[in-house]
Amino acid sequence: MLMSLPPTLKSSGSKSTTPSSVSDVNGGTAPSAVLPLRVLVVDDDAERAKLVEEGLAENAVVTMATQIHGRPLLDLIARLQPDVIIMDCQSPDRDTIESLRQVAQSNPKPIVMFVEEEGSAFMQDAIEAGVSAYVIDGLKPNRVRPLIDTAMTRFRVMDGLRSELRKTKDDLAARKVIERAKGLLMERQQMTEEQAFSAMRDMSQQQSKPIKEVAQSVIAIFDLIGADKKPET
Amino acid sequence: MKKTPLSIGFAHLSDCAPLVVAKERGVFEAHGLDVTLRRFEAWSPMRDALGMGTIDAAHMLSPMVVASAAGLGPFPNQFTTAFTMNLNGNAITVSRALYAGMEQTAPEILTRRPLSAAVLKPLIAQRAAANEPRLTFAHVYPHSMHTYELRYWLAAGGIDPDTDVELVVIPPEQMIDALSLGQIDGYCVGEPWNNVAVISGIGRTLITSAEIWSSSPEKVLAVRQHWASNHAESHAALISAMLETSAWIDRASNRVTAAQIASDPQYVNVPFDELVGSLSGKNRQTGGTLRMDMPDFNVFHRYAANFPWLSHAKWILAQMIRWGHAPANLDIDAAARSAFQPDFYRKVASDRGVACPIPNEKVEGAHSSAWVMTNATAPIAFAPDRFIDGRIFDPENIEGYLSGFGIRASAPRFSEADKGQAITLAR
Repeated sequence: MLMSLPPTLKSSGSKSTTPSSVSDVNGGTAPSAVLPLRVLVVDDDAERAKLVEEGLAENAVVTMATQIHGRPLLDLIARLQPDVIIMDCQSPDRDTIESLRQVAQSNPKPIVMFVEEEGSAFMQDAIEAGVSAYVIDGLKPNRVRPLIDTAMTRFRVMDGLRSELRKTKDDLAARKVIERAKGLLMERQQMTEEQAFSAMRDMSQQQSKPIKEVAQSVIAIFDLIGADKKPET
Repeated sequence: MKKTPLSIGFAHLSDCAPLVVAKERGVFEAHGLDVTLRRFEAWSPMRDALGMGTIDAAHMLSPMVVASAAGLGPFPNQFTTAFTMNLNGNAITVSRALYAGMEQTAPEILTRRPLSAAVLKPLIAQRAAANEPRLTFAHVYPHSMHTYELRYWLAAGGIDPDTDVELVVIPPEQMIDALSLGQIDGYCVGEPWNNVAVISGIGRTLITSAEIWSSSPEKVLAVRQHWASNHAESHAALISAMLETSAWIDRASNRVTAAQIASDPQYVNVPFDELVGSLSGKNRQTGGTLRMDMPDFNVFHRYAANFPWLSHAKWILAQMIRWGHAPANLDIDAAARSAFQPDFYRKVASDRGVACPIPNEKVEGAHSSAWVMTNATAPIAFAPDRFIDGRIFDPENIEGYLSGFGIRASAPRFSEADKGQAITLAR
């Protein structure tokens, strides 16, 4: 049923359902309680969208939309008729989704913010996790809640991964700077590696500055003096 | 003295100028406020931040506050305002292709000013006859002056915005791309996004919002009702600082400085030359070709611009009912009073010696030229307040006003959740 989607869209069917039972949703013959919910994840952050999709795929039919905005996004929603839309709560696309609150020809069922039924404590949680969810009006909260909880967890995991990565990058960058300063001290001041490092460590302790900053000043000073000149000590 | 910390949200549009100027010129500080400004990329996140208390005040679409007071949306009965930030400032721009089509099919209407939406009729009929998709117009948020201005203009030209064309919501900075890609045929948006389309040759501005309804309320300084009742002193200091800044910014000689401050990357973040025209009002386009100076393109203080007229809130509520965005049995009076607080404004403004109107509402659309209000603490000069179709909005007779419209929604179009909220309020 998703063959005609643009290449930026990927859909993963629920593992407990066959495609034919999914299409029953449109036919409306099967009792809706047993059918998996159709979830649309709207996120320009493709990695995060993937992470959310993996978390939800067990219990829902998930479609991802990345880098789709405005009219094409509304067309996609009209075609998919998702039960739940999950997105970054700071996303400008939210304003587009908000228009679906009002009944239009393209969406016979209005879509509401999930938190309207769940109250403000949950809303606070969702905002802190960075997740906004819109659901078909009248959908039972207990069916949607686990999906949103999973999405919130995945958003937090992504945040965690990102800050971990940032820390690793910072550590790497710091090590590079220190190595370079050490090299300069060894070359220009004829220090041994050990002398160069302990000189910087002492400066770091005396000035109570991180050793990375000391290394940066060492590099800056040598840059000022110039490459050719070797200061007398 | 310790300053009161306040966090205020703003959208990167030209009319955030009073907030960023008050911050940069130290006006907030002088009023004992330590203000942090926070930029939002969209309206829904800003609404949520205000509702959740992440920010204390917001540069908000006036109909957003009115919607909340009417029990619509996720924060029913929670927002209010005692300060209108500006009048006018929006415009409707269409793609070059649509304009060329209008030149072909309706050259005679195209010469008239203000330009009637009837100019679109032949093209709409052509598309319907050929079974082609309807023309699509974008605006920025369901409850916005942009929506109601666009709908008013279309309907005044004999076009039903719900059946003859398609309306979609697109964030302002995506409008230009959507227009040049042909995903939409036109839009109603605030500045600098009309100017950018005109400068780049992607679009042509057909009409400014001041030509649809002169002196219409655009953005307000929104706060939570709960906050307003518990922090009256901070609220008053905030309005006082905004009054001082708005008076400063309204002087033509200060508009260029304001544009310089607002164009900064941390604020509107567009080049100065794309922004300055919308604040100076110079060289505006209208009618698709005409270039003219419109000193009232944005009004920040004169004409009692900051006064939160109950008649403004009621006009917005009437349009919500007209288009099925609010229930017909809504208590308009109660919703308007909870949305706009003229009494609080009057208290702060009088302390500063700013002239205030005595009445809380006025008949809108009765003046087609400049006039003077004498029923005020001191006589106040006003600009025209006419509507493009010459209709008069009497806040005492909204039912009669609404029944006069041939084009209006036949059925309510708001969601079940909104219906529940609004009906509780109506009781």
